[in-house]
Amino acid sequence: MSRRPAPPPPRGARTHHTRSSSRFRGWLRHHRAMALDSAWRLLRAPLGSLVTMLAIAIALVLPAALWLTLDGARLLDAELTESATLTAYLAHHVDEAQAERIEEALAAHAGVGRTRLITAAEGMAEFQQALGLADALGRLEENPLPASVVVTPTDPGPDAVRALADELEAMTGVEEVRLDLAWIERLRHLAELGRRAALALGVLFGGGVLLVVGNTIRLAVENRRKEIEVVTLIGATHAFVRRPFLYSGAWYGLGGGLLAWGLLTLGGEWLAAPVAALAASYGASFSLPRLGVDGSAMLVGCSILLGWLGAWIAVSRHLAEGKPR
Amino acid sequence: MIAFEHVGKRYGGRFEALANLDFRVRRGEMVFLTGHSGAGKSSLLRLVMRLERPSRGRILVAGHDIDRLHASQVPYYRRQIGVVFQDHQLLHDRSIFHNVALPLEIQGVEPRESARRVRAALDKVGLLHREKALPIELSGGEQQRVGIARAVVNKPPLLLADEPTGNLDPQLSADIMTLFEDFNRIGTTVMIASHDLALIARLRHRTLRLRDGRLVADEEAA
Repeated sequence: MSRRPAPPPPRGARTHHTRSSSRFRGWLRHHRAMALDSAWRLLRAPLGSLVTMLAIAIALVLPAALWLTLDGARLLDAELTESATLTAYLAHHVDEAQAERIEEALAAHAGVGRTRLITAAEGMAEFQQALGLADALGRLEENPLPASVVVTPTDPGPDAVRALADELEAMTGVEEVRLDLAWIERLRHLAELGRRAALALGVLFGGGVLLVVGNTIRLAVENRRKEIEVVTLIGATHAFVRRPFLYSGAWYGLGGGLLAWGLLTLGGEWLAAPVAALAASYGASFSLPRLGVDGSAMLVGCSILLGWLGAWIAVSRHLAEGKPR
Repeated sequence: MIAFEHVGKRYGGRFEALANLDFRVRRGEMVFLTGHSGAGKSSLLRLVMRLERPSRGRILVAGHDIDRLHASQVPYYRRQIGVVFQDHQLLHDRSIFHNVALPLEIQGVEPRESARRVRAALDKVGLLHREKALPIELSGGEQQRVGIARAVVNKPPLLLADEPTGNLDPQLSADIMTLFEDFNRIGTTVMIASHDLALIARLRHRTLRLRDGRLVADEEAA
C-alpha cells in the first residue's frame, strides 16, 4: 500500500494525511465487504460448502483424536510413574528386629521417599489372602517368604529408580531388589511412537486440508477468472484480488474446524461409557480427556489457518500465471 | 505524456509485432491509432497499459520508464489510465452502477463519494436511468457507454480505447467519439485505436498509422 509510483502526479490537493487515513478506512471497508460477500457465496451453495467443510473436518478429526488419546495416556503415565515402587527382599536369616533396623537404614538412604516394612508373617498373610490357599500354606512348617521393604523413590524417573535399586541391593541384609519398570518403559515408548505418528498424521492430513481448500478455491478462481482479469486491468492489487478468496478459505476452515470439534465431542461421548467400563475392569479410573477451551481454540484456529493458507496458494498460483511478459 | 523510444516487441522470439516505434504524445492531446487488424494497434496499447513489456526500447509515461515499475507498483500505475475495450469487459453479474463503481471500489473510495462520482459518470454518458440494470439488458452501444463511464469515473489523466466503435453503427460511433472529445476538452490525454477511417477523417485529430508493426505515417490534424 505504501509503495506508490510517482507517475503521473495525482490531481487535486488533498493532504497526505487524509489520503492515507481514508485509504485505511477504504481498506477496512473492503475487508468487511469481502468477508460478508465470501460468506454469502458459501451460503448460496450450501451443499458444496458443507461437503468441503466435512472433508476438512474428517481430515482433522483423526490426528486430533490420536493427539487427545495420547494426552490421556500421558496423564495415565504420570500417575503410574508416581506409583512406581521398589521392593527390597531381605535375606532369610534376618529376624524382625534386624528387619526394622534395615528398614530405618533404607529410609535414611538418599533418594528414598517412603518405606513400608512387610514382615515375613505379614507377607504370608497377604499371600494366603490373595491366593485363597490358607490351608495348603498353613501346612508348611516354615514360612518360605522373606521379609521385604516397599520403597517409594523420591525421583520416579526410570534411570534414577534403576540406580537406586543398584545402591539398595548393595546394602547389608538386602538380598534382592525387584523393580518392574519394564512395562512403564514400554508404555513410554508406545506413547512416543504414538506422538510421532500423530505428528506425521497431523502433517499429512494438514496437507490434505490444504489440498481440499486449494482445489475448492481453484475452482472458485476459475469461475471468477473474467472478474479477476477485469479488476487487474483497472488497477486492482494482488491483495485486492486475493482478499475474497482468502476469506472463503478462512470460512471453509472455520466451518471444518467447528465440524471437527463437533465430531470429536460426539465421538468422546459415544466412547466414554465403554472406556470407563474397561478401565473399571482393570480397577483403574480412566476417562477420555476432553478438548477443553485451549484445545478447541487450537483445533479451530489451525483449521482456519490451513483454509486461509490453501486459498492463498491457489490464488497466488493463478496470479503468477497472469504476469506480463 | 507518452513517449515511445525505439520500441520493439517480439512474440516467441520470432514474430515481430512492433518494430522501432518512436513517437511522442503530448499531455492533453487526442490521437488516433489506425491500421489494419494485425498492424499492432492492440499490442501498442497493451504496452502502454503494461500488460506486456517491450522487447527493446523504452516507453515513458509522464516521464517515467514504465518498464522499470516494480510489479507491486503496476496496479497503482494502471489506476492513472482509463481503458475502454472493444468488448466492453463488463461484469455480467453486477449492475451497471456497480460496474462503473469498480475502479473506485478498488481504490477504496468512500461509498457516498463513490456513488456521487458513479452517477456523474453515468449522467455524462446518458445512462443514469439504467444504473440498476444488468449489462445483458443493455444494447451494444449502451454497454460501450458503460465501459466509457467506468474508464473515466476516477478521472484518469490518460484514456486509452481499443476499437471502441468496433461493433456500432455510424451514428452511435459518432456519439461515442463525441464523448471522447468531451473528455479530451477537459484535459484528458486520449489515445484511440480504430480502423474506422471515414470517422477518423471527419474528426480531424492527429493520426498515427501502423502497418506491420511499423509507424508509416504521423499526420497532424488538418
